[in-house]
Amino acid sequence: MTSTDVKPDETTSAATRPARPGFGAALRWETRKLRAQLRTKALLVGAVLTPIAVVVIVHSQARPPKDTLFGRFATENGFAMALLLLGFASQWVLPLLTAIVAGDIFASEDQHGTWKTVLTRSISRSKLFWAKTVVATVFALVALVLLAASTIASSLLIVGHQPLTGLSGQTIHARAALELVSASWASMALPMVGFTCLALLFSVWSRNSAVGIAAPVVIGLIMQLVGALGGIETLRPYLLSTPFEAWHGLLASPQFTGPLQESVITSAGWSVVCLVAAFLILRRRDITGD
Amino acid sequence: MRRFIITVLLALVAVVAVSGAVLAGTGGGSSVTQPRLERSLSANFANLYADQAKLLGHTGITPASLNAKAMCDKGGAVEDNIGPGSNWNCLVSWTDPNNPMPLEGYGKFEVQVHSNGCYTAGGPSRLVGFQTITDAKGNEVTNPVYEFDGCFDPKGDNTPTGTQFPSLLNVTTTTLVPSADRKISLQLSCGTGSTGCQGTVAAKAGDTDLGTVPVDLPEEQTANLHFPTPVPAGADSVTFTITTTKGTGSKGPVTETSLDMPPS
Repeated sequence: MTSTDVKPDETTSAATRPARPGFGAALRWETRKLRAQLRTKALLVGAVLTPIAVVVIVHSQARPPKDTLFGRFATENGFAMALLLLGFASQWVLPLLTAIVAGDIFASEDQHGTWKTVLTRSISRSKLFWAKTVVATVFALVALVLLAASTIASSLLIVGHQPLTGLSGQTIHARAALELVSASWASMALPMVGFTCLALLFSVWSRNSAVGIAAPVVIGLIMQLVGALGGIETLRPYLLSTPFEAWHGLLASPQFTGPLQESVITSAGWSVVCLVAAFLILRRRDITGD
Repeated sequence: MRRFIITVLLALVAVVAVSGAVLAGTGGGSSVTQPRLERSLSANFANLYADQAKLLGHTGITPASLNAKAMCDKGGAVEDNIGPGSNWNCLVSWTDPNNPMPLEGYGKFEVQVHSNGCYTAGGPSRLVGFQTITDAKGNEVTNPVYEFDGCFDPKGDNTPTGTQFPSLLNVTTTTLVPSADRKISLQLSCGTGSTGCQGTVAAKAGDTDLGTVPVDLPEEQTANLHFPTPVPAGADSVTFTITTTKGTGSKGPVTETSLDMPPS
């Protein structure tokens, strides 16, 4: 319980009136609120344990799941297994994983009726907004790292680390394959931050945790559907689901990184727009009237 | 909640409108194009075929020595060769001393291409073998070229590869069914290729000439040829001579094939 006694970090503010807590304190509160929730722990434990179970189940199949990229080799090659699960996770698992926390983080204050308490007594809206944003983003990245590490480790231990056949038919040796698989998983970070910001926006806007959690996942699925349709492929660069597929270029020979560069712009664009919208909505909201 | 739903609906309408405007502005071009698929498929196939040769114990085969070339086509002559779909066909030629190409010079691959530039190709089993093969050590292993996945750069080189292969004109009729007045017809199909099929088919029953009928087919289409002269009673088979000026027959520019008459 030490965090409540923390002195403000700001040295510039006038010392005459009781100083308001700084951004650091807000961060600590938000982190503590998150850590106290059962779902946070359950999600992180799930991110570690679920891949192990999935790898065991897929590995025991007689027929490999050929309809997904790298599924063809998944039962006989650990790197292919890790990439198969990557393709699967990016469909809805990653958006859901981050939305469960980010979609709730503002809406829970509405649910518990705690906006007045939080804002009138202690901290400015913008500090609270950024603290919640940072905490939700860090959670998303931690969850991604755990999921990736667990998937790659269990794939390699259970299925093995044979040389991988890449997307141009080239043979990739184990060491290079491990680097490429890790890089592919790492490329999920940006779109996942994008989905975090989308969930934050829905959390602020709807004031409803269910909407905050479900809407980003549904929108993600719709974007995937739109991106898979023929004839409207010019829309693909604008969809937040496209960066989830940018890793394909890493596994081709010669490698191509155009989609990865585009994914930086797309993810950053969605993140900034969602955050600005969420910030404006929160700043203009009439808390006292609720 | 109702206000919220209305807002969401309005937002969706706005998204659709904006995306429509973007589409109209950019012309809706697809990154899935014939040259990109041809380049990627031939390189991908060459690598995997060299893997297969290694499994089979064939020596001296490298991706470069195969000199694989591909010509891809979407949906026959009636469709533009652009955009994702499951109706892409690619004709691929390569050089393997252990396994010579058929006379037309290529094998046909059926390819399913997705909008993200990834595809799944299925090879012709008479040229690449079936799903599992027996390797040099006697083990049953997955055939790497029977079916394979690949992805190409959606911004990759889009200059035409210039690879062209003739369409293959095939007889699809397996048994002759004469009409009441003993006239016969023959069904032909013109396969994927850059040329379509043109030529003539002459039919003979014993010494009787049944007539010569011209053929002019775009790729991936079939036609029924009707021969004007009735088959004489007593003839037990009809010989067709297929002469192609565009495209090719299964045995070269002049292909002879014989079909039995049903017992009367």
